[in-house]
Amino acid sequence: MAGQVPTRRRRASRLHPARIAALTLFCLILSGTAGAAAYFFPVVVAGVGQTGQTVVVPPSRSPGVAATPTPSAAPGSPFTVLLLGSDDDGKNKSPLTQSMILVRVEPATKHVTMLSIPRDLWVPLSVGGYAKIDAAYAYGGAAAAIATVERNFHVHIDEYAWVGLKGLIKLVDRLGGVDLVVTNPVLDDQYPDDINSGFLYGYRRVAVLPGPQHLDGSRALQYVRSRHNDINGDFGRSARQQEVLLAIKAKASTLNAADLPDIVDTLKGNFTTSMGLDRVRSLLSVATAFDIANVKQIVLYVPTYTSYGNGPAYGGASVVVPHWAQILAVTRENFP
Amino acid sequence: MILRRIAAILFLPVMLGFGSGVYLYLGTLKSKVVQERPVLPTVTKPKFVLPGTMYVVQDGRMFKLNAGSFTEIGPAGDWSQPTLTPDHTRLIAVSRGVEFSDLYLLDLDGHVVKRITKNDSRVLEYNHWALYPRVSPDGANLVYSYDSPKLTKYVEEGVDLSVWSMPLNGAQYQARRWTDPYWYTGGDVSPIPLAGGGILFVRHSIDPSTVVHSQIYYQARALALAKPLTSDTEDCSEPALSPDGTQLAMICSRGKQTTALEIAPFNGTVLGPARVLMEGGLYGSPVWSPDGKALAYYAPTGLTGHFQLWYLPLPVAATPSATTSPSPSTSAHASPIVAPTPTPAPAPVQVTEGVDLSATSPPVWY
Repeated sequence: MAGQVPTRRRRASRLHPARIAALTLFCLILSGTAGAAAYFFPVVVAGVGQTGQTVVVPPSRSPGVAATPTPSAAPGSPFTVLLLGSDDDGKNKSPLTQSMILVRVEPATKHVTMLSIPRDLWVPLSVGGYAKIDAAYAYGGAAAAIATVERNFHVHIDEYAWVGLKGLIKLVDRLGGVDLVVTNPVLDDQYPDDINSGFLYGYRRVAVLPGPQHLDGSRALQYVRSRHNDINGDFGRSARQQEVLLAIKAKASTLNAADLPDIVDTLKGNFTTSMGLDRVRSLLSVATAFDIANVKQIVLYVPTYTSYGNGPAYGGASVVVPHWAQILAVTRENFP
Repeated sequence: MILRRIAAILFLPVMLGFGSGVYLYLGTLKSKVVQERPVLPTVTKPKFVLPGTMYVVQDGRMFKLNAGSFTEIGPAGDWSQPTLTPDHTRLIAVSRGVEFSDLYLLDLDGHVVKRITKNDSRVLEYNHWALYPRVSPDGANLVYSYDSPKLTKYVEEGVDLSVWSMPLNGAQYQARRWTDPYWYTGGDVSPIPLAGGGILFVRHSIDPSTVVHSQIYYQARALALAKPLTSDTEDCSEPALSPDGTQLAMICSRGKQTTALEIAPFNGTVLGPARVLMEGGLYGSPVWSPDGKALAYYAPTGLTGHFQLWYLPLPVAATPSATTSPSPSTSAHASPIVAPTPTPAPAPVQVTEGVDLSATSPPVWY
């Protein structure tokens, strides 16, 4: 009997209102955290599966060409991203990159430089041999694409991001469309009819009319992918790709963290990147802050930076031959 | 002890509810800009009642705006770019298929009177685009942009729009090509037939550095030499002639991804100095009011990108004469216009809200 009293006192003290309040608060925080964790679960999954991809870039075998792997840029310092875009429609087991854009971001000054690399550029690949640069990704994935660009352009690439065609359509649609001044009518009788089509090698006619307008994902893709009726062919397409990239940036600036699960769900299977979530976050903050006037756009057009070539010297293919002296002067200036 | 367990069990739903609440609350923090979806004009009421009657297009559907309310007209389909006959009794509009487009004659309530062109074919290359229809001031001819001839298998298939003209009451085989575009640029668009027999139109060019230019041209006769009225650096397009034919409204981008709404005096062949009315946004598709004292145009509100209709009363300041401008050169790279004169900004009035009008289909207003 004598020992029961202190026990009751101890139990009574546990039911003190302050303890109950603390316990309640703890439980609510726990449940709130669980709710938030459930909301951002797709982002975490994507963070594991799609971001932070590790690429091992082989060291250079060419004398006089900069070899990579210097450590990645520190947070807040300028960094360079290689954007890769390719069809993911199953035509090629290993897809070619239809679009390669080097982007240098300077978070401190909010300056961005974009350089489009012609897909037909005839270069030595990091995996050996000469080929069009769009084959690097097909032969060796992101690592080969990065190594090939680094060795030929003498730049250091900190990160890469790859997006498939369907990913672009879905992303633009998820953003509610993009706003553009379409500079000229983009008409094409040989536009690939390979999106949601049973036959991957068919063609269709498309017409994107000029003027300021709101483009949905399909139209935006037609605008950036069409090249047959552009007098500058792939170079004209590269310029349009940069325009759409900036329009996506403008629309993405309206996003916040709560939109991330939807964006991740949209890009599922159509996007991979070496960037970790922290770098993605810093990129988004730059996207929100920088002015379009601070964006420098470079296209390696003919005849200044490149020329057309074909014949046995290029494996019988029609290629774009680089003028390295001019190109490297540009990369030295803009991608130090 | 039992009470505590009961309390704990009762608290579980509270925790579950709170966790769900947090989940749902985070969902409400999503960007409103991205989530905003446009509505049809018919479920909205214009914020400002425009004089006269206007036709606009949204998502392939045509709407008549009259006395402050919208009515949908026309059969189902992908309609765009309506225009009026000079006597205001008929509409001509573009009906777009998957790989072609045709011109149709409609009554003012959108009932099809006649299919003017037939551009669909089972053979992909034989399909054509007919776009940007306009009727000549005398009502005799229909001018439009048409992707013929096609350059076959040069390097790539060339598909460029030329300006064509055909009798309004005639047949397509009577159509005659008027302009010779720069190939592999997309070609010539937005023709305006003039009372004097010539046309205004927009021609595109692309220089080797991939920079695209658009210029407004004047051409007196079919396949005659066209004269640029604006310079290549101004990148002007979407011309709209005032009802009395003395002023031209246009959209100029100057190589940027923003546009300016400008007007300039026009004497039938020569364009005078331009005045910038609006700039720094995405202004497009200007159209004159029936009395010529105001403009309407499309521009998005905020970052949604959904184009709304705006009304802009014009300043009463005297307009410089077109004859005071230098004579336009025949060179495509000349700059026949002097620098735009800054003008006190008139106050635009937003007419629609929440819709998403087709910015490549200029409104028709009479």
